[in-house]
Amino acid sequence: MKIKMKGLRQFLAGLKKGAISFGRNTSLIVNTALLALVYFLGVGIAAVIAKICGKHFLEMRLSKLSKDHTYWSDLNLRKKPAAEHYRQF
Amino acid sequence: MYILGISCYYHDSSAALLKDGIIVAAAQEERFTRKKHDTSFPINAVKYCLESQDIAMGDVSYVGFYEKPFLKFERVLSQHLEMFPKSLKTFLVSMPSWINEKLRVPGTIKKKLGYNKGVLFIEHHLAHAASTFLASPFEQAAILTADGVGEWTTTTCGYGKGNDIELLKEIRFPHSIGLLYSTITAYLGFSVNNSEYKVMGLSPYGNMDKNTNPYYDKLKQAIDIKDDGSFRLDMSYFTFHYADRMPSKKLCVLLGGPVRKPESELAQRHKDIAAALQLVTEEILTKILNHLHGITKCDNVALAGGVALNSVYNGKILRNTPFKNIWIQPDAGDGGTSIGAASYIYHTLFGNKRNYVLRDAYLGPKYSMDYIKLFLDKNKIKYSQFRDDDDLIKNTAKLIYGNSVVGWFQGGMEWGPRALGARSILSNPCNPGMKEILNQKVKHREKFRPFAPAVCEDDALKYFECDVPIPEPTDFMLMVYPIRKEWQDKIPAVTHVDGSGRLQTVRRHQNPRYYDLIKEFGKLSGIPIVINTSFNIRGEPIVCTPYDAYKCMMGTGIDCMAIGNFLIKREENPQDMWDSEKNARD
Repeated sequence: MKIKMKGLRQFLAGLKKGAISFGRNTSLIVNTALLALVYFLGVGIAAVIAKICGKHFLEMRLSKLSKDHTYWSDLNLRKKPAAEHYRQF
Repeated sequence: MYILGISCYYHDSSAALLKDGIIVAAAQEERFTRKKHDTSFPINAVKYCLESQDIAMGDVSYVGFYEKPFLKFERVLSQHLEMFPKSLKTFLVSMPSWINEKLRVPGTIKKKLGYNKGVLFIEHHLAHAASTFLASPFEQAAILTADGVGEWTTTTCGYGKGNDIELLKEIRFPHSIGLLYSTITAYLGFSVNNSEYKVMGLSPYGNMDKNTNPYYDKLKQAIDIKDDGSFRLDMSYFTFHYADRMPSKKLCVLLGGPVRKPESELAQRHKDIAAALQLVTEEILTKILNHLHGITKCDNVALAGGVALNSVYNGKILRNTPFKNIWIQPDAGDGGTSIGAASYIYHTLFGNKRNYVLRDAYLGPKYSMDYIKLFLDKNKIKYSQFRDDDDLIKNTAKLIYGNSVVGWFQGGMEWGPRALGARSILSNPCNPGMKEILNQKVKHREKFRPFAPAVCEDDALKYFECDVPIPEPTDFMLMVYPIRKEWQDKIPAVTHVDGSGRLQTVRRHQNPRYYDLIKEFGKLSGIPIVINTSFNIRGEPIVCTPYDAYKCMMGTGIDCMAIGNFLIKREENPQDMWDSEKNARD
C-alpha cells in the first residue's frame, strides 16, 4: 500500500511538473505568435506607410562635409512643476 | 522627510534613501541577490534602506524613479518602426518584459512595497545630473552626462547652480559614446554592460599614438566628430539599434577580422583596437568638455553616466580642459541614478537647500560586532579576537607585509562598483609576484588587468603624479594617474604597463581603520600603499554579508579575513564549502 502511495505521489508530482512545463511552453509559443502578429501587422504596416511618406523615426544622417555643423540639439530641460513628474512621459 | 529613489530594469538596479536631503542608505540589488548587474526590482535594497533607518514604507514621503518609462518605450518602438523587419528578433525578446514590468512601474511599486501614493518619474539624464551635482561640493558646476542611452538621450551638457539643474543640449539615440564603447567591447570578445573597464585596462597595451595606430583612423570612419564635441555614429557599422549582436559585418571588415571569441588569446591587433577606442573616446570627451566650459564659463565640472567610469580619461580631464575642479560620485553609472532621482525631488522640485556632500561611499549594510560574533559562533567558525583597533591594525598590517592575502570586511558596504576598504581584499604591492598570487588564489582575472593601489591622501603626491589638490573622485578610485618613475619598480603589483595606477586615496575621516592600516603597513614596508581589490571572485558581485565574505574566503585562496574585530584564518577552518574555480566566470 505504502509503495503504491509513493508511486502515486511520484506520478502526481511528475504530472504537475509536466503540466507547468507544458503551460510555460504553450504560453511562450502563443505569446511569440501574438507578438509576431503585432509586429507584422502593427509595426510592419506603420513602418511601410512611414517609409512611403519618407518619415524617419531615428535620425541617422551624417553631415561629414560640413565642419561648422553641430549635432547638438537644444534640450533646455529645467525645473518643471512636480505634477509633471507624476507622468511617465 | 524620507525620499526613496529607485533604479531598475536595465542594469545595476539600486535603491537609495534620503532623510532630509542627506543620503542615509544606498545599495545595489546585486549585492543581495548575488547576481552581478542584477536588473530586477530592487526589493532587497529597498528593504535594507528602510531597515537601516528603522522605518516602514508608510514613513516615506515620496518615491522617485530614475527614468520616464513611456518615453523610453517610444524610443524602443521607434527603433522597431525604423528598422522593420530586421528588428523582429529583438521585438520578440524584449516586448514581454516591457508589457510585464517596465510599463507597470507604479503598479509594481504599489504591489511590492505597499506604497499607495504617486511615483515621481525623473528623466534618466536628469537623474544622472542630479546624482552628481547635488551630491557635489560645488555651488555651481558645468555638468556632463554620457552613457549608453536613457529615454532618447545619450549625452547631455548642463549647468547646475544651487538647487537647480538645467540640461542645455543633448545628443540623441542611436548616437552614443557608451554604445560605441560597448560595441567595440563586444567586438573584442568581452561582455557588454560589464567589461567595458577591461577594454579600458587593455588599451595601454596597444599603440596609443594616433598617428601610427591604424585602427584610430578606421574607427574615425565610423563616427563623425565635430569641433564642439557633438558626434554621430555611421549606423551602417552598428547593429545595436535592431539586433542583440552589436558589431555589424561592415565593422568587422573595417577592423580587419571577425569578433574575437571570449577567452581566446588577445592579439596585438585587439590591443591596438582597444587603444584606438580609448583615443577616440578621449578625443570626443575633451572636445565636449571644452565646449561645455565655453558655454557655462564655469571652472567646476561634475560628471555622471557610465562613461564617467572611464577612470583613465578622468585622470586627464583637468590637464586637457580648462576646468579646475572635478566631481564624480562613486556610482556614476545607472546604479547611481536612484540617488539622483531622490535628490532631485528633495532639492530641485521642492527647493530644499543643499546640506550634504557625498564624501564617503560606505552607504551599504553594516554589521555590529555582536552580529558578527553570533554568526561565527553559530557556524562553529574558528576565530581569534583582537583586543582593540590598535591590535587589529598592527596584526593585519603584519599579515599583509608577510604576503598574506587578507579579506578586509569593515563597516558599511561601498556604494558603487569599487571596493573602497569596506569589502576589500588587501595585499602587499611590493611583492613582484603578488599579481600572480592574487590571480591564482582568488581573482582568476585576465593577465593584462592591473590591481589598484590604495594610499593615504597625504602620501599620494609622493608616489603618484596627481592633480593638485587631489580631486575627491580619487577617493572613489575614479581617476588613473601616472605612478612616479622612481616608485614604479618598488610597487610592481599595482603598476600598469604604461606606468599608471588606478589609485584610491584614503582620508582618515572616511575610514579611520583603513587609513591607519595603510599607515601601519607603510611603517613595516617603507611604502604606505596596499593593493586593494574587490572582495569577490570573478563574475560575482562584491560580498555584502559576513556569510558572503566567509563563503568567498573559504572557497578561494584568501589566507585570512579581518572582519570587525575578529580574525579568521582559512587554514583553521574546513575548506570544502565552495569551489571558486567552478564559479569563476563573467
